[in-house]
Amino acid sequence: MHLTYKKTFYFIGLLLLLFNVSCFAHGVDSNTEQFLTTTQGSAILPFLYIGAKHMVTGYDHLLFLIGVIFFLFRIRDILIYVSLFTLGHSFTLLLGVLAQINMNAYLIDAVIAFSIIYKGFDNLHGFKLLLGKEPNTKIAVLVFGLFHGFGLATKLQDFDLPQENLLTNMIAFNVGVEIGQCIALLFILTLLGFWRRHNSYFAFAKTSNTLLMTGGFVLLGYQLTGYFTSL
Amino acid sequence: MNTLPKASIKSLIISCLVSIALAIVILLIAVLPAEFNIDPTGLGKKLGLTVLAQTDTETVKAAVISCPEAAKPADGETEPVEWPDSVMITVPARKGLEYKFHVNKGDKLEFIWKTDGSSLYFDFHGEPQGNTTGYFKSFKESTQSESSGTLIAPFTGSHGWYWENKTNHAVIINLKTRGQYKIKGLM
Repeated sequence: MHLTYKKTFYFIGLLLLLFNVSCFAHGVDSNTEQFLTTTQGSAILPFLYIGAKHMVTGYDHLLFLIGVIFFLFRIRDILIYVSLFTLGHSFTLLLGVLAQINMNAYLIDAVIAFSIIYKGFDNLHGFKLLLGKEPNTKIAVLVFGLFHGFGLATKLQDFDLPQENLLTNMIAFNVGVEIGQCIALLFILTLLGFWRRHNSYFAFAKTSNTLLMTGGFVLLGYQLTGYFTSL
Repeated sequence: MNTLPKASIKSLIISCLVSIALAIVILLIAVLPAEFNIDPTGLGKKLGLTVLAQTDTETVKAAVISCPEAAKPADGETEPVEWPDSVMITVPARKGLEYKFHVNKGDKLEFIWKTDGSSLYFDFHGEPQGNTTGYFKSFKESTQSESSGTLIAPFTGSHGWYWENKTNHAVIINLKTRGQYKIKGLM
């Protein structure tokens, strides 16, 4: 166990180093949007960075992931569920941008917020208690993954991307998203791993998932207000 | 493997109600006032949160006003420097913008700029003409409220400043230039 933590930290350090390299490769710091709209041709590293940054700083995706892995203890299970999530959001991210599907970002983000509520409710055994059985969790994570991907697509579409080398840049963005997801997961799993050794993890499981749902409801209210005020 | 103690309908309902109630409180007190300037309780204003949303709604647009030659200093002792081009550039709060000149290789761009007080992060740089890789050469990068100098263009292309206003209020820059160049303006 201790060895894996050590390895984890080295890995994180290495990734952070990579991050800095791609950061310096561009120079102008926070002007991401300007870069995206003015860039022409393929720019793999910058798009990789933007994708990763979006995931690491995307609290809605992270809250959902926390919900998904909350009761997953085996590495194998975590890999299966995270892969299903990745499959889902990669598919709709590429589809949404390439097929130029226009969706309202607020509504998509509202569905993403709902996915957090759903997962918190599921972790509280809500479906088992109310329906007698819970809906297939693997299908659920895949379907919500599809919505998260549309959410990522709307963020990229906001930038009015150049058509030239669109696919290369998109894939770079997508790979960046996965790198970001790995980094975020490593942090989450490291922290949860420490906490899981204590009984308080289980004692607080109900509180944790109630707070997870709270986060989902706040995001839902925020996105819906955004939608109605933008009409 | 899923070990949640004492799952019951009652505790489920309590959890749901608590999370909804908590979310409503957070939304009403913090999120809506700060993000949308919607403040039904009035608490947002008391806490100063609505300020965050207001700066967004009363957006100050990035603006450039060209000024006719500024009045010469009354004490004509020192040789007054002629600046044929003088503009006022407004950088909105927490926004960045670029102001560019087209300068040919070897040509001169003399400049002096000053803000109305606040320091701005800036990157004075040039991009070679026709280059599409996003490459640029940075001449000076700093955070200051004024700067002056002369640029001899190392290559033909677009040269100028990226200014970023990290403050919560709009900052006005007075930029004066002379030399051999074509004004491209706000980017």
